[in-house]
Amino acid sequence: MYLNNFEYFAPETPGEALDLVARMGNKAKVLAGGTDLLIMMKEKMIQPEYLIDINNVKEFKGISYEPGKGAVIGAATKISEVEHSPVIRDKYFALHQAAGELGSAQVRAMATIGGNSCHASPAAETPTPLVAFGAKIVISSVSGDRELPLEEFILGNRKNALAEGELLTQFILPEPAPKSASRYWYIGLRDAMEIDAVNMAVNMVLENDGRTVKDLRLVMGSVSPRPLVSVEVPGILVGKEFNSELVEKAAQAAAGEAKPISDIRASAEYRREVTAVLARRLLQQAFDAAREV
Amino acid sequence: MKQLIELTINNRVYEVPVSPKDLLADVIRDKVGLTGTKKGCGQGDCGACTVLIDGNPVLSCLTLAIACQGRKITTIEGLVAEDGQLHPIQQAYVDHGAVQCGFCTPGMILTSKALLDRNPKPSEEEIKRGISGNICRCTGYKKIVEAIFAAGETISTEGVK
Repeated sequence: MYLNNFEYFAPETPGEALDLVARMGNKAKVLAGGTDLLIMMKEKMIQPEYLIDINNVKEFKGISYEPGKGAVIGAATKISEVEHSPVIRDKYFALHQAAGELGSAQVRAMATIGGNSCHASPAAETPTPLVAFGAKIVISSVSGDRELPLEEFILGNRKNALAEGELLTQFILPEPAPKSASRYWYIGLRDAMEIDAVNMAVNMVLENDGRTVKDLRLVMGSVSPRPLVSVEVPGILVGKEFNSELVEKAAQAAAGEAKPISDIRASAEYRREVTAVLARRLLQQAFDAAREV
Repeated sequence: MKQLIELTINNRVYEVPVSPKDLLADVIRDKVGLTGTKKGCGQGDCGACTVLIDGNPVLSCLTLAIACQGRKITTIEGLVAEDGQLHPIQQAYVDHGAVQCGFCTPGMILTSKALLDRNPKPSEEEIKRGISGNICRCTGYKKIVEAIFAAGETISTEGVK
């Protein structure tokens, strides 16, 4: 359980960090929380020559919110800061829930929101609600920034869209629509420190009548190599008055879209079954909450 | 290659030679000589190696020592007052029989401290969630939960000296 030898860098400005990332390319790994990276190094899955620790770059950290515009979360922001942020709780409830369910108190104090997406585990907690909010990410390099919707960034199990010399620096969350609400939940083998068998986030917008679904995103995690955005569920519910018959139809549609595998945590059959359960619950919860807004 | 770094542990500054790959848990135990911090799984699952960094509970087996320069590290040794009096959380663990073999205790107590610092009056459910990253193989969880609950009461009524 020892790490290989490497050279350690701790840049203090974005410029220094991007310069190091550009110069060292694939021989370097970026150290954010370390809760995935150092385990992969201990298990000798990777043996980087350089580690670039981005925790001293204050521009990569923190949560800002501007009414009408939305929130910006620095990629090196700790999960615990996201979990305890009043504005995330108030405006992006599903993300607040997912952050609070990630790992343990220790893991949340160490791990970062950027690391959770870059590691691209299909069972990751925070990408699911972030995709449901339509979050974009900012990818920076010495030659400038580019933006990408998060669902186009996570390509598959442990694969992301970062090119050599690029660094994920920010998440941009749009302002929630009026009369909207979001909910997240998961099914796992135990309540804490588990890896989700299935997780899901719903972000629902209602018309002014408080009954008709205006817009909806349902995103599933851990049932596909990457966050799976439902196409069928919005097709069933958008433009319709919310009722239990449509919810049932939507839940079955979500289960049909899921592409789960069988592994140590659950069988594909079970995952498909609980996908419908989560969809039913979260659609109802999001609807009830959106009516109250 | 080793380099000399300064680590602030329990308000004392230690100068230690480290390689970048040296983990905080090993440096605290082997180079600084504070063996209260335990190493269990080495993979961030068991919580035995928990220390506080700037007040936050952190897994020292997944933290590079070199990355801790300029931070305030607290280990279990740092909770005892200068006159030797136990911290109210430590005292509550003793009073409630929450220590069995003792291996999980330092990490468990530091996690308890981080929890109570944020929320001095947690519910039973909040305590259970709070310590879910610390494994006790003697399975003394019930007494641990009771001890944390009692420590919270003591701290909020009497404060910490």
